[in-house]
Amino acid sequence: MTSPDLVPLPPVAGRILDAQLHLLDRQVLDTDGVPVTTVDDLELSGPALGEEIPVGTPAPVLDALLTGPVLGTRIFGGRPPSSRLIRIPWKDVADVGVVVRLGVRGGPLDAGWVERWVRDKIIARIPGGRHDPR
Amino acid sequence: MKRLLGVALGILTAIGGFVDIGDLVTNAVVGSRFGLSLVWVVAVGVVGICLFANMSGRVAAASGRATFEVIRERLGPRAGLANLSASFLINLMTVTAEIGGVALALQLASSVHYLLWIPVAAVAVWLVIWRVKFSIMENVTGLLGLTLIVFAVALFLLKPDWGVLAGQALAPAVPDGETVPTYWYYAIALFGAAMTPYEVFFFSSGAVEEGWTVKDLVQSRLNVLVGFPLGGLLSVAIAGCAAVVLLPAGIAVTSLSQVILPVAEGAGKLGLAFVLVGVVAATFGAALETTLSSGYTLAQFFGWSWGKFRRPVQAARFHLAMIICLLVGLAVLATGVDPVLVTEYSVVFSAIALPLTYLPILIVSNDPQYMGQHVNGRAVNVLGMAYLVIILVASLAAIPLMIVTGAGS
Repeated sequence: MTSPDLVPLPPVAGRILDAQLHLLDRQVLDTDGVPVTTVDDLELSGPALGEEIPVGTPAPVLDALLTGPVLGTRIFGGRPPSSRLIRIPWKDVADVGVVVRLGVRGGPLDAGWVERWVRDKIIARIPGGRHDPR
Repeated sequence: MKRLLGVALGILTAIGGFVDIGDLVTNAVVGSRFGLSLVWVVAVGVVGICLFANMSGRVAAASGRATFEVIRERLGPRAGLANLSASFLINLMTVTAEIGGVALALQLASSVHYLLWIPVAAVAVWLVIWRVKFSIMENVTGLLGLTLIVFAVALFLLKPDWGVLAGQALAPAVPDGETVPTYWYYAIALFGAAMTPYEVFFFSSGAVEEGWTVKDLVQSRLNVLVGFPLGGLLSVAIAGCAAVVLLPAGIAVTSLSQVILPVAEGAGKLGLAFVLVGVVAATFGAALETTLSSGYTLAQFFGWSWGKFRRPVQAARFHLAMIICLLVGLAVLATGVDPVLVTEYSVVFSAIALPLTYLPILIVSNDPQYMGQHVNGRAVNVLGMAYLVIILVASLAAIPLMIVTGAGS
C-alpha cells in the first residue's frame, strides 16, 4: 500500500546496494587488508520507531556499520542501548564488494578494542608473540 | 623444474596428509569386522572429498574468502551460528581424538602411559602453531605421514589370498554375524572419516594462508585429484591388513595397538618402526590442522584477523581461541576417556554435520559475484548435486542407525 503523500524516490546515481545482500554479514577489511570485523548490523539516521513522520522528511541515510554485542541481539532479539553500539562510520567505508573495505587503518578503531585487549594483555606477553612466521 | 618439484611435493603431502586418526581407526575396525566389503564407501568418500576440496579451494582462490566467511554471509547470523556451533563442537571432538591418537602412538613407541604423553602432545601442537611457518608444517608432517605406505607393503608381505580380497571388495555383502544396520552404520562412519569437514575448512583457509590465486588452481587441483585418491588407497591398505590378519582371528579393533598389529606381523620390527613414525606424523599433522580449523571457523564467523602468515600479535583472538581449544581437549582427555572411542564417534558426527558446510560452498561456487568466470562447470554441478543427496542421506540416517545398532556394537 503506497501513500500518495510520500515523496517519490529520488533519482539514484551510482550503484544500488541491498543492505541484506551486500552489507550485512560481510567481512570488513581495513585499508591494509587486515580483517577488522564482520558487519553485524547497520545504523540508519532518521525517526525512531513509532515516531510521527512529517511530510517532506528526508529519507533516512546509512550512518554507520555496527559491530560488537549487537550481533547477540540480532540473533536472539532485543536492542542494546545506543551507548553500547560500536560504530564504524559510513564515511570510513571506501568500497563495497565481496568484502567491505575501509579507507582507514583498523588499529585505532573502536571496533578493535577486544582484539587490542587480548593482544596487549595475553598474546604479546607469551614469548615469541611478536615473531614473524615468514 | 621448480614447478614440477612443487607439484610432486604437493601431491606427496596430500597423500601423507589424507590419513588421520579417524581413517586409521575406522578402516581398521571395518576391515576387522567386514573385510573389504565396505571398500566402495572409501571410493565414494574420496571422490566426494576431491569434489568438495576442489570447490572450496576454487572459492578461496577466486574470491579470497574462506569457508566460514562464506557460510556466515549466505546463512545469516542465526543459521550461521547454529552451523558454527555444530561444526565447531565436532571439530573440537576431532582435535581431542587426534591429540589422544598422538599420545597413544607415543605410548606404543615408548611404553610410557598415554596420559603422560597427552600434555606433551598438546604443547608440541601449540608450539608448532605458534612458531613454525605454514608451508614447513604442512610439508614435514605430510612427508613423514607417507611412511604409512608400510601398510600397503605389509599387505603384500602377508601374502593374502588376493582372490578372496577382490571378491569381498567387488561383490560387497554383509558378512555372517553382522547385521544390515551395523553394516550401514559403519558405511556412514567410513564416509565421515574420508570426508571430514575440517579438511575443507583447512583446505580453503590454507589456500588463503598461502595466498593462492586463480593461477595456482591447476596445481591445487592436481594435488587434490592425484593425492587424495592415493591417500584413499592407503586407507584401503589399512582395511586390507585388518581383513587379512584380524578378521580370521576374530579380533575386533578397539585399540590403536590392534590397528598396527598386522604391520608388525607382515613387515616385522622395521615395519613397526615405520608405522609408528607414520601414525605419529599423521595424527600430529591432523592435530595441527584441526586445531587451526577451530581457530579459522571462529575467526571467520566473527570477522577476526586470522592466519598463521600473520604474527600472533596481529591475530590475537585467533591464537587465544586455539589455546583455549587445546586446553579443552586436554581437559577432556584427562578424564581418561578412550581416544579410540572419541574417534569412532567423531567420524559419525562429521558425517552428520557435513551438509552444513557442503551446501553453502556448493551455492557460492555457483555465484558469479564471488567467482567471476570460475563458477562451477556443468559436470561439477551434476556431481555436486548427486553428492548433496548422498551427504544428506548419510547425515539423516546416521543418528537412527546409531541408536538401532548401539553405536555399531
